[in-house]
Amino acid sequence: MFKVVLAVLLAFAALFAKEPGGKEKYDIDISRMSGTMVYGQVYQMVTYPSKYLGKHIKMKGFFSSYYDEELERRFYGCVIQDALACCSQGLAFELAKPREFPKEYPAEGDVITITGDFDFESDEGGGGFPIIRNAEMQTEK
Amino acid sequence: MPELLEKLSFYLDFPFVRYAIIVGVLVSLCSSLLGVTLVLKRYSYIGDGLSHVAFGALSIAAVLKITNNMLLILPVTVAVAVLLLCTGKNARIKGDAAIAMVSVGALAIGYLLMNVFSTSANISGDVCTTLFGSTSILTLRVEEVYLCAALSIAVLAVFILFYHKIFAITFDENFAQATGVNTTIFNLLIAVIVAVIIVLAMNLVGALLVSALVVFPSLSAMRVFKSFFAVTVASAIISVVCSLIGIVVAILAGTPVGSTIVAADIVAFGLFYSISLIQGRGV
Repeated sequence: MFKVVLAVLLAFAALFAKEPGGKEKYDIDISRMSGTMVYGQVYQMVTYPSKYLGKHIKMKGFFSSYYDEELERRFYGCVIQDALACCSQGLAFELAKPREFPKEYPAEGDVITITGDFDFESDEGGGGFPIIRNAEMQTEK
Repeated sequence: MPELLEKLSFYLDFPFVRYAIIVGVLVSLCSSLLGVTLVLKRYSYIGDGLSHVAFGALSIAAVLKITNNMLLILPVTVAVAVLLLCTGKNARIKGDAAIAMVSVGALAIGYLLMNVFSTSANISGDVCTTLFGSTSILTLRVEEVYLCAALSIAVLAVFILFYHKIFAITFDENFAQATGVNTTIFNLLIAVIVAVIIVLAMNLVGALLVSALVVFPSLSAMRVFKSFFAVTVASAIISVVCSLIGIVVAILAGTPVGSTIVAADIVAFGLFYSISLIQGRGV
């Protein structure tokens, strides 16, 4: 009897953890959205980060990175453009398993898919920026 | 088809999409109502001129770092609308020349200010999104939706309340004046309403495409309907339907919202033009 209950519980856990077909479940899957929607959604996440804290996110965009000499830290970002390609928005990400830059990272502008948890990193000046933590990155070939 | 409906229903779960649809419907409704009057009074291009003025005011607000830029944009646009529409025949620089001068001047000064006193890292992006309204309708705050709803209700109320006076001024201002209508006051009222609509519509389609919201629905309705009332009602319906189609297509297909709405308006005009040809009414 115990084994049956355990099996049912495990089946339920598997059902809620993964979508049919073994796909991960996301609170917000931006990679499924059209370009216009992606821009609108990322704008909301950047403008109202507190609403999205802890959400499991999947997004697709262009890889970008820059080195902040003052902070001595390299930032990595997933950037999306609006339908007119004149405006861009992006989210910074931090990989769960750090890689060596630039050897193990894609080239600037390569299409990447990022999955991870939405967070907000506060800075000393009272500001901050949204960031995807525990991220996994896949590069589109 | 079921996939598209599923996708649309998924998108409608996002509050910012619902805000865009609400504001889109309200703005297109208001702009089409006044559009009939403006087209008949030969002021079709005033939307373009005033939206450029609003762009100039927006640049000044950005330079001055005014948080609520509506506090500057609205009064400046209203003031210019009053100048353009109310000076009429007595103006030293008349009609289209005044509109052209104000339009190009405000656009140039706005862009110049944005460049010289840059407050953003992406000037071309800011200018582009203001002029073409690529996604600004999807980035509205709740307060902006409430403001838009309040202003739209005010515009609709004024139009319904003074419908007969607006009708009289539209067709024959001199006759209206002779029959006791205070044309100065009503021209002032029309100017204020037009300015409010233009400022609201900039969020929907961007400054360069505002004229389309004013002109296309009215011209489409005029192809088929002949009375002022029928044209006004048809124009409102065409405008709302085209805006809805434009917003839905833009979010489904990932196209720029403003130009997709205008494209829907052009298709509607083609349709109504064809109907008028079939009815034998000619151009």
